[in-house]
Amino acid sequence: MLTICFSILFSLQMQDMVRGEEKPIRIGYLQSDIHQLACWVAMEKGFYRKNGVDAKVAGIFRAGPEEMSAFAAGALDMGYVGEAPATTAVANRVAKATVLAQVNTEGSAIMVKKGSPIKKPADLAGKTVAIPGHSTVQDFLLQKALYKFKVDPKMVNTIVLKPPEMIGALKTGQIDGFIAWEPYPAKAQTMGVGEVLLTSNQIWKNHPCCVLVSDDGFRHLHPKNVEGLVKAHVQATDFIHEFPDEAVKIGMKYTGMDEETVRTAMKNVNYTYELSIDGETEYVDFLSRLKYIDVPHAETFVNRFIDPKVLEKVVGK
Amino acid sequence: MKLDRYILLLILLILWQVLCSLEIIPTNLLPSPFHIILGLKDLLIIGMPPGHFLPNHILYSLYRVTLGFLAAALLGIPLGLLLGWSPRLRRITNPLVELVRPIPPLAWIPIAILWFGIGMKSAAFIIFLGAFFPILLNTVSGVLTIDPIYFEVAQTLNAKRKDIFFKVLVPGAVPSIFVGLRIGVGIGWMTLVAAEFTGVRTGYGLGYMIMTARDIQRPDEILAGMLVIGLIGYLINGGLRLCEKKIVRWRN
Repeated sequence: MLTICFSILFSLQMQDMVRGEEKPIRIGYLQSDIHQLACWVAMEKGFYRKNGVDAKVAGIFRAGPEEMSAFAAGALDMGYVGEAPATTAVANRVAKATVLAQVNTEGSAIMVKKGSPIKKPADLAGKTVAIPGHSTVQDFLLQKALYKFKVDPKMVNTIVLKPPEMIGALKTGQIDGFIAWEPYPAKAQTMGVGEVLLTSNQIWKNHPCCVLVSDDGFRHLHPKNVEGLVKAHVQATDFIHEFPDEAVKIGMKYTGMDEETVRTAMKNVNYTYELSIDGETEYVDFLSRLKYIDVPHAETFVNRFIDPKVLEKVVGK
Repeated sequence: MKLDRYILLLILLILWQVLCSLEIIPTNLLPSPFHIILGLKDLLIIGMPPGHFLPNHILYSLYRVTLGFLAAALLGIPLGLLLGWSPRLRRITNPLVELVRPIPPLAWIPIAILWFGIGMKSAAFIIFLGAFFPILLNTVSGVLTIDPIYFEVAQTLNAKRKDIFFKVLVPGAVPSIFVGLRIGVGIGWMTLVAAEFTGVRTGYGLGYMIMTARDIQRPDEILAGMLVIGLIGYLINGGLRLCEKKIVRWRN
């Protein structure tokens, strides 16, 4: 009975996905992630509408893997998400999605408690550091930092905590440090709880972070809508650079954080829509090395996973 | 051997496999039984996260569930006997029990981290909350359903209060206590994923393993982990039934 119910539900869902001509575009983003400011700016400034796109927020997620599960379930058409979880979901054939534009580069930091004896990366040996999840950009950055500064990864105990819980855990001494996306590092700073050990810029300059992805089925059925949404994303990214004060206000509205925190956070994020093919290839190699994914040829995968054509058309290259 | 009770399960598994093989059910959303077995193999050989193998996940989870379940049983059974024994005590504690009982163990997670920190204690506390109320309430109900004639006979024979408690009340409540224990351990296992979501220092635990498989987008390993939890729960339930049969001989 259960099996029959499942198959009926799945076929109904598939029909729903194929129909859906007139429906608004279902978008998703990560909760309080200042990297995804362009999404909020596009909504607030009406860029989606101006480009003929009827976008509706269908999901706000606490971490990238959750959002990619929503893509797999056919619950999202497009979304702002970390490049690493998107890569993992597509490489493991759970979701069928393609990267269309970059959202930001950099924008994370390894934080330690204020006044902590941990003054350099080597001091992390023997300590407990929280990450937001396996196969997140931050998991990757921590591993890369340990490698770069010659710290044996086996000497660092990593535990999984969601970013909103990290500051409390650091404050009460349950963890020695954490790595998270902005604005959580900035919040730890402005609360007087934590200080920066390393920004992600110091770990890997210009590393790709969040991306704008589209469900493959949706992309092929609605190319005009996809183009309109990418155009809105480009306009929103430009807006952040041209009107930073207004962007700060939008950031405050969507994160619920104070001005000082949002301004501090935004300084650590590079908002850009330019795609990074080399960066993605490095992610694929790393995720394969960790056995999170099994991709024999990183470059072939990346060429399929990233489609720059829509962006090139929009920005006129 | 009564194998007929497994026939329905077998038919469902075959149907499931056929529907997946014919791609009527998309395997990225619901992997086939064959893929789940392959996922189980990966959990044993590669581990999830890689290097963290299934047997260790099972051991750590068993430890957490045992800790939470034992605490629930050690507190729930004596308290349940007392509440069943004393109507006054039952009246006094009833509002508190009925107020706390409907709160889902998941809602306690932030408080558990605050009180016990990240790790074993907070996970065991969440499991304790899941197991405690079924044990308590079944024990109380076990006492209340004892035929009053047994108490009257004991009193007629001039039995002391202590003897009535230990020789009439406790044995009379045992069958119901076992029902509470079986439900309690079942709910304890159900809360395991949530309990191990509070942050696991050791990197081991079936709930933690399932959440990591979710992060890495491996639905085959998620379902394999669920299957392992189900099997362990089934075995524990069977073990408790066996104990019940041995201890409550008179009922047969």
